[in-house]
Amino acid sequence: MSLQHFMDTYALKLLQAIFVHLGYVVLCVAIGSAIALVLAVLLTRIPRFSKLIMPFLSILQTIPGIVFIGILYLYTGMRPITVMIALSVYAIFPVLKNAYSGILHVDEKYKEAAKGCGMSSWQTLFYVELPLATPSIFTGIRMTVIYLVSWTVLAAMIGQGGLGEFIYRGVGTNDNRLILMGAVPAAVMAIGLGALLDKLQKKLTPRGIRLQEQSESGQSSGKGGI
Amino acid sequence: MIEYRNVTKSYGGSPVVKEICLTIEKGEFVVLVGPSGCGKTTTLKMLNRLIPMDGGDILINGKSVKEQNPEILRRNIGYVIQQIGLFPNMTVEQNITVVPRMMKWDKERRRKRARELMELVDMDYDTYANKYPSELSGGQQQRIGVLRALAVDPPVILMDEPFSALDPITRDSLQDEIKRLQKQLNKTVIFVTHDMNEAIKLADRIVFMYDGKILQAAPPEEMLRSPADGIIREFMGKHVQKIRMEDELNCSDIMRTRIATISPQRKTLECVELMSQYEVNSLVVVDDNKNYLGIVTIEDIRDHGEAGQPVEALIRTDAPCVGTGQHARDAFRILVEKKADYVVVVTPENRLAGIVTKSSISKAMASALWGEG
Repeated sequence: MSLQHFMDTYALKLLQAIFVHLGYVVLCVAIGSAIALVLAVLLTRIPRFSKLIMPFLSILQTIPGIVFIGILYLYTGMRPITVMIALSVYAIFPVLKNAYSGILHVDEKYKEAAKGCGMSSWQTLFYVELPLATPSIFTGIRMTVIYLVSWTVLAAMIGQGGLGEFIYRGVGTNDNRLILMGAVPAAVMAIGLGALLDKLQKKLTPRGIRLQEQSESGQSSGKGGI
Repeated sequence: MIEYRNVTKSYGGSPVVKEICLTIEKGEFVVLVGPSGCGKTTTLKMLNRLIPMDGGDILINGKSVKEQNPEILRRNIGYVIQQIGLFPNMTVEQNITVVPRMMKWDKERRRKRARELMELVDMDYDTYANKYPSELSGGQQQRIGVLRALAVDPPVILMDEPFSALDPITRDSLQDEIKRLQKQLNKTVIFVTHDMNEAIKLADRIVFMYDGKILQAAPPEEMLRSPADGIIREFMGKHVQKIRMEDELNCSDIMRTRIATISPQRKTLECVELMSQYEVNSLVVVDDNKNYLGIVTIEDIRDHGEAGQPVEALIRTDAPCVGTGQHARDAFRILVEKKADYVVVVTPENRLAGIVTKSSISKAMASALWGEG
C-alpha cells in the first residue's frame, strides 16, 4: 500500500479516533475529578472514614486496567459505558489523594485564624482550605489527565474506538505505520493537555498564593546561595 | 465585663488551668503573662471557645459563652493570632473584611469599613487594599491582622502573643500602636505574652499565671513594687534587662543602639522605603563617620519632599538630644515634657550613640527596682 493510499484510507478514521480518545479522556477526568473532590472534602471532614476508604481505593488502583475493563465487560458489556466507568474510577485516585493531602496540610494557623474569625467548617473549606489546596488539586488533575490518555488506549480492547484501535490493529497485522499512527497522536495529546492544564492552573490559582510561592522559593534559593 | 468563674481545663488527665477566677472591666487592657505551659493561652482561647472548658464558666456581660453559638460568639470577639495567619489567597481588603462578609454586610459597607480601618493605622487604602499578604512586611501584616480583628467593632479583642514573631523595632512600634488603638476605641483587650517588658508596657493590669493558677493580678507598677511571689520576682528579673541602680544610670546605660539610620545623600524614596521596612516614622541622619546630623520625619518628606531629592534638605536639627554621659533622668524628663517618641543620644564628639524610648526607660526602672535580680 502506498503512503498516499494509506493516508487516504486512514485519515478520516484517525481524526475520528482522536476525537473519541479525547472525548473519553476529558469526560472521564471530569467525572473522576468531581467524585474525587467530593470524596476528598468528605474525608477531610470525617477523618476516620479516610482510614477505611483510602486503602480500599489504593488497592483498586493497583488492579491493572486491562483486568478491570475485562471484569466490568462481563457486567456492562461491549458498550462505551464500560470504558467510561473504568476510566472514571481510575481518574479518581490521583485527584483524591492530592486534594485530600492538599486540604489536610493547609497550615494550622490559617485554620485557626478562620475559626477565630467565626467561620463554620464549611466556610473554612470554601474560603480558605480549597483555595489554598488549589495547587495540589491541580497536580492531581494533571497527573490523571496524562495517565488517562494512555489508559484510554484500552478502550479499543472491547471495540470502543479511540487511538488504541490503530495500535491493536497495527500489532495484530504487524504494521508499524498503524502503531505509530495511534501512538504518536496519543503522546502529543498527553503533552498538549499537560501544557494546557499548566496554563489553566496559572489562571485559576489565586494570585496571592502564587506570590507567596514565589517569595518562598525566592527566599529558599537565596539561602541556598549563601 | 468579662468574668471567669472557677474555670478549669485539663488535657489527658493533667490539669493546665485550675479553677481560675478573674474579672475584667470594660475598656481594660489585661495582659496574661507567665512561663510557657502556665495555661495563659488556654485561658485566652476558652473565652471564644476555641478550646472548650471542662468546668466553671465564663460570662461576657453576664451571659455565659457556653450558651452562645460558637461561630457567632467568635465573630463578636476580635482575635489576633501569633503567626499572623492572614489568608494568603485573599487581598488585604478581603482579609480585613472576612468577618463582615460572614455577617453578610453588603459590598459598599465592607469597602467603607476597610478604608476606615486602614486609616486608623495610617495605611493608604489605594496603595495597600489590593495587595496580598506576601507583598507586605511582617509589621504591616500584623497591622492588617489587628484590623481584621477590629472589623466589626467587637468590644473585646483577644491577642495571643501577636508580636512575638516580629523584630524588636517593629514590635516596639506595633506595641505603641495597639495601646493607642485600644484607648482610642475603648476596647477590652486580653493579651497573652511571655515577655515581661511587653506586659509592663501595655497592661493596665498584669495577670501573672504559673502552673495553671493566677499568682497575682495587679497593675504593672504594683507588681513591680511588690511581687506577690518569689516566682514572679524571679521571672521578672530574668526577663528585664539588668543594669545598675537608678541613681547611677546615665543615658548610655539605657539607650537602644539598634536603630534605623540613613545618610544625608540618600533620596527621599529610599528613606520612605526604609521607614516602612522598620515601621517607624522618622530616621536618624548620620554621615559616613556616624556624626549625628539630625532626623528626618515622614511628615517633612510628605509636605516638602520631592521624589529623587536627597534627604539632606529635609533634616530637622531640633529633635530632642542628650549626651551619653547625661543622667538618664534628663532623657526621661524630655520624653515626658516634649511628648517625644524618643530622645537621640550623642557622644561628646557628636557621634550618634543610640536613642532612648519610653520602653528603654521602663526596662531600666523595672530592673532598678529589683536590683541585680
